[in-house]
Amino acid sequence: MGQTSGRQERNKKPEVAPSEIMEAEIEVQNTKEETKDVKAKNQKLTSVFGLADLKNEAIGLYNLGQSCCLNSLLQVFLMNIHFTRILRRITVPPSPAQRRNNVPYQMLLLLEKMQCGKCKAVGPTDLACCLSEHRVELFVQHDAAQLFLTLWNLLKKQMKKPVEELSDLYTICIQEHLACQKCSFEVKNNSTMLTLPLPVLDANSHRLKTLEDCLQYFFHPEELTGQNMCFCQQCGRKTTFLQSMKLVHLPQTLALHLKRFCFERSSRTQKLSLHLPFPQELDLREILTESQCQADDSEKGTWQFELFAVVAHSGLSSCGHYCAYIRSLTDCKWYCFNDSEVCQVSWDDVKCTYGHSNLYWRETAYLLFYMKKHPQQPWPGVSECL
Amino acid sequence: MAQWQEVQSLANTYLEQVHQLYAGSALPMAVRQSLAAWIESQNWRQAAEPLCSQARMLFHSLLVVLGERLGSLGSDREDFMLKHNLRKAHRDLQAEFEEKPETFANLVANLLQEERRILRLGQAGEQEGSAPAPSPAPESGREQQIQQRLGDFHRALQEAERAFRHLEDLQDAFDFCFKVHYRPDGERNSDPEYIQELKSLQDKLQNLHRQRQEVLALMQQLLRRSETLQELLQQELGGWRARQQRQCLGGPGDTNLRPLETWFTELGQGLFQLRQLLRALGELRQKVTYARDPLVTETPLLEQRLQEQLTHLLRSAFVVEQQPSTPNAAKRPLVLRTAGKFSARARLLVRLHDRNHRMEARIHIDRDPPNIRGFRRFNILTSSSKTLLAGDSPQEGLICDFQYLTLKEQKDSRAGKGKGGGGEGPLVVTEELHLITFTLAYAYCGLELELEATTLPFVIISNNNQFSSAWASILWFNMLSSDPKAQQFFSSPPPAPWPRLAEVLSWQFQSVAERGLSRDNLLMLAKKLLGSKPSLDSTVAWSKFSKDSGSGFSFWAWLDGILGLLQEHLKQLWKKGLILGFVSHKQKEKLLKCKRSGTFLLRFSETVLGGVTFTWVEHPETGPPIFHAVEPYTASELVSLALPDIIRDYHMSMEEKNPENPLKFLYPNIARDEAFGPFYSQRMEGNLSDSQKYLNRRLIRVSSRPPNRRQTEEELVVATQDLQMLQLQPRGQGTQQPGGLPWPQPLGTLQVTPGNVGTPQGVTVTPGTLQVTPGNVGTPQGVTMTPGTLQVTPGNLGTPQGVTMTPGTLQPRGLGMLQPQPQSLEPPQVASGVPNFQGTLQVAPGAVGTVQVLPGGLRGDSGTLLGTVAVSSGTLPAEQGTLPAELRDLELLPGGRDMQELLQSLQELEPGLEAAGLMPDVVPTLEESFQLSPGSAALLDQHDPFLPQPEDSVLPIVPSLFTDFPPLHIDPSDFQ
Repeated sequence: MGQTSGRQERNKKPEVAPSEIMEAEIEVQNTKEETKDVKAKNQKLTSVFGLADLKNEAIGLYNLGQSCCLNSLLQVFLMNIHFTRILRRITVPPSPAQRRNNVPYQMLLLLEKMQCGKCKAVGPTDLACCLSEHRVELFVQHDAAQLFLTLWNLLKKQMKKPVEELSDLYTICIQEHLACQKCSFEVKNNSTMLTLPLPVLDANSHRLKTLEDCLQYFFHPEELTGQNMCFCQQCGRKTTFLQSMKLVHLPQTLALHLKRFCFERSSRTQKLSLHLPFPQELDLREILTESQCQADDSEKGTWQFELFAVVAHSGLSSCGHYCAYIRSLTDCKWYCFNDSEVCQVSWDDVKCTYGHSNLYWRETAYLLFYMKKHPQQPWPGVSECL
Repeated sequence: MAQWQEVQSLANTYLEQVHQLYAGSALPMAVRQSLAAWIESQNWRQAAEPLCSQARMLFHSLLVVLGERLGSLGSDREDFMLKHNLRKAHRDLQAEFEEKPETFANLVANLLQEERRILRLGQAGEQEGSAPAPSPAPESGREQQIQQRLGDFHRALQEAERAFRHLEDLQDAFDFCFKVHYRPDGERNSDPEYIQELKSLQDKLQNLHRQRQEVLALMQQLLRRSETLQELLQQELGGWRARQQRQCLGGPGDTNLRPLETWFTELGQGLFQLRQLLRALGELRQKVTYARDPLVTETPLLEQRLQEQLTHLLRSAFVVEQQPSTPNAAKRPLVLRTAGKFSARARLLVRLHDRNHRMEARIHIDRDPPNIRGFRRFNILTSSSKTLLAGDSPQEGLICDFQYLTLKEQKDSRAGKGKGGGGEGPLVVTEELHLITFTLAYAYCGLELELEATTLPFVIISNNNQFSSAWASILWFNMLSSDPKAQQFFSSPPPAPWPRLAEVLSWQFQSVAERGLSRDNLLMLAKKLLGSKPSLDSTVAWSKFSKDSGSGFSFWAWLDGILGLLQEHLKQLWKKGLILGFVSHKQKEKLLKCKRSGTFLLRFSETVLGGVTFTWVEHPETGPPIFHAVEPYTASELVSLALPDIIRDYHMSMEEKNPENPLKFLYPNIARDEAFGPFYSQRMEGNLSDSQKYLNRRLIRVSSRPPNRRQTEEELVVATQDLQMLQLQPRGQGTQQPGGLPWPQPLGTLQVTPGNVGTPQGVTVTPGTLQVTPGNVGTPQGVTMTPGTLQVTPGNLGTPQGVTMTPGTLQPRGLGMLQPQPQSLEPPQVASGVPNFQGTLQVAPGAVGTVQVLPGGLRGDSGTLLGTVAVSSGTLPAEQGTLPAELRDLELLPGGRDMQELLQSLQELEPGLEAAGLMPDVVPTLEESFQLSPGSAALLDQHDPFLPQPEDSVLPIVPSLFTDFPPLHIDPSDFQ
């Protein structure tokens, strides 16, 4: 998956079909060979678009018909100044047709439209059309977690230059361990994820009390027995394995996915509206034990997070509505982005998305985005850009 | 308040900003001022949107309104300038914005927004400025937040309504154009004019669609706001519930529901309004709809969400305001007695109801009984439903007040529990928790709901002697559980953390005697319960607390005995902190060891139920200090003599010396009289000349020093004031009984000596104490009564009839002191079937006008019973201070109680009476010696020592005869 040209990509399928695995494999390639003309274009682009972006105001997005999910996610992307800094430096595709179908470019256009105009909301029509070219259908209720993955994959695929930074911004690195319980045979496997899919119920269908519990449960080692036994090369037969996950690296923007659904016998998904509080400040070092991490101290030192955004869903699994609560990184205030309607809210309002076991139609947090408090080093792109 | 008004009331610095705002503005302030209300009620932001036809309309309306305003101005001088300014503004505006009304709309919208911003700043500044001055209540931040959110919610609601009206206009306009212009049959399809029209139609539809989205978004926002608000209100309500639970235990806390009621009502109102709006939105959809109409997909979602929220609000708004309690045990609610009356009240905090809809409230007891074997079932005997009528209580809100409820056990409910079953029922009566559920069929604006509220669990007892342990259960539950439905709580009661228990115990003392437990007190209790090393993490098991621990009574029984003692006799001393109270044996010796001889302290006995004792230290010339402790006084003794008086007059008699009072200093170092002086009952020192005739006497307690015993025994002695043995020769006859008073005497030797009788003491009776006023010593008119004044209705003898005294018979002639206080009894009645004793029966002030009627409850012997009670208590001289307070609690049940039972209970309560009076064989003696033939007051034997002697101008009364009679506590409700 070379990132040198947008043209190569266009005829391919989107990288990951939405219904497939949540954890996208992310390959990070070295894309340092930037040609000079690309650089020049970049600078031109910055001079064109850069100014408006500085305001980074909260502007609504009109609902095009069931596009509340897309709108919410776009807001989460566009309110993230770390992301828009990357977006501003993309390479503009040469032909109008390419531009029309280039997701990063359309996103950038949308951002500029939002920031330069005086309107309280704009319609993301062009971007939506562009997305529909890439099999993201319009007028369909999406699942926010899947759509997030799809969007991100499209961005990564079509963005040429700062794609590495994009990966750095969002990807979580973990190490999977599979250890045979009979002998000492061990398999290690590094992988990357875009979101941590956190269960809200444990194996016995008991509810987990807090987000911290969910995280602990997620990293809790699991014994694979019975049907789940794996083949051990050393023992030469199927044995009981201990499966565990170790956290290697956390990105600047950490996305958590609360798996607020369960499958009934009728295979219909049902939404779980149970109460699950999440903190404004999250310190992974306090939650995970030493054995659940595979990181040095300087990496761990950055594992303090602040809540940045909540994508909340109201209604049932079959029909519902999305909105996003985002804490602006420029004025540090919470806003609620409900399609075209944007209003300032307080933490009390955000807390309402904790859920309530008896209120099924209420908004409940579905995706949580945390932001690193103290990044390890200044964002590499900044010096490059300015 | 309108925005412009608020702006004008801003502080100067902010006003300056407003002036600047309008200085360069195309809208002159004069116009803003003149049309303030109109301007604020328009949706300028909406009109400022491109493609919106409303801007032009608004602009022209403004000019029209301005014109009208101009016309309405008079020709006053003041108006002259205004008129000029407005006319100029009219002209200018028309010239400038005629062609671009959208700009104007935008301008006004921005101005209004800017005004709001300045307002916010100004108001925040004011709050900051005023905040430090008065220290705000801790809650106030929260309250303010709720108030502010309520305000925001209502403003947003208004905005949504405006947006909705605008949507209606748009839709009507579109609908009209569509019907007029749209011709799908195609003959004009190529007509350029038609194509133009179609395009404009398309634009209109686009506009309509956008407005629909807008309104929907506003509704979503409203719902979100109300959800947060409700979350805050629920927290407040939770706080209130916790406070109520605490208050039930005697803890502090404000349980006023008024603010919550206001908030819930306001939010409820808003939500119902929103519901109305959503319905109207649905109707719009009925008229015009199109592909991907947002109303089709979104409205049902919103409706569901709103419905759910409204239901949630109403359900939680139905609360039990007053937990079940019997009227005369207000401090200990949640303990009910079978056949006793109780009341409970629920309230719906959302004060919204249809005027013409009757809502019915019902109560149920144990609707979902727990699965416990032998769980008793009860019926509510009185009516269990009530209709909430509109206008029933407009100010009071929506309350379901159930009063005079009684419970009756279902006959077969005890199956398996009875003693025959070997007591295998897992729970004893006092650990069986019951619940009352209120239900209310709520209906308002087409919403119908069944609301439910459950009381805290309560205990049902059948006998008063279960009261104490029942209360222990209530304490334990409410201390440890906040789940009101945990009826199985005592199947495995959790242990209590000591700090929590300590707090609750302290509340008990606080509520009984207005002084909680000190640290030292609690430390002693902790050691008693937990052993030598109590820590903050220690826990106390329920059985340890409430079950017999081998000493004959449980910890709680012991503590409750002390509480009872405090309440009846030692309240003031405890409140003043004169009773050290909880001091262990060891500790007391440690405390007293280094104090001088005669230092004493008051502590509660650990071996006697409800006993208080004093210990003093004596330093002999050689050897270690000696500690003396007197045998604990219990309520029965304190009835006759108050503890301060005991302390004042306490004497040790030693064989070789004069008796002396060993109690000199209250620990740590307060002179006895200084500490207890205020509580001594007054001596009769005044009017000595009058008292020359008689020697005063009073009752004191003396201990004789035993050779080697710690606990000194004491005896009751009637002594004269100068501490000589009583040697008064009565004027009449009667055997004088000198010295130690043996209670069980035949009647003739009763300690009531005529001389004593003649000591007329103005006696005022207050419910608990007997005050002797010295001013009337020797003035024998105190309570005069000639037999004639006694109105006995003949023929009622033997049958228990009320003997009514006209109050006039008890004129406190010249005695200001004599104050009949009938108010202690309501209705003023004192039980007496005493016709046999008219001659001797002296109704003392306490009973004035209070002759009691026992409706049919007394048998023939009742008269004698009460008579003897009266006589025997009469032997207690008036100085003695206290009344047998226990008797107050005696309730006369109309016809329900056998006299024998009453007698028994009297015996239990007042052992002191027993000897003298309650022996049945005294009765005949009485009758004989008095030689009264029933019904004839005239036949009184002149030789009777109790009767007035000829030379005595006054009636030789036993003033205290009836004063000591139990002021029976009769609750009016018992007769209903």
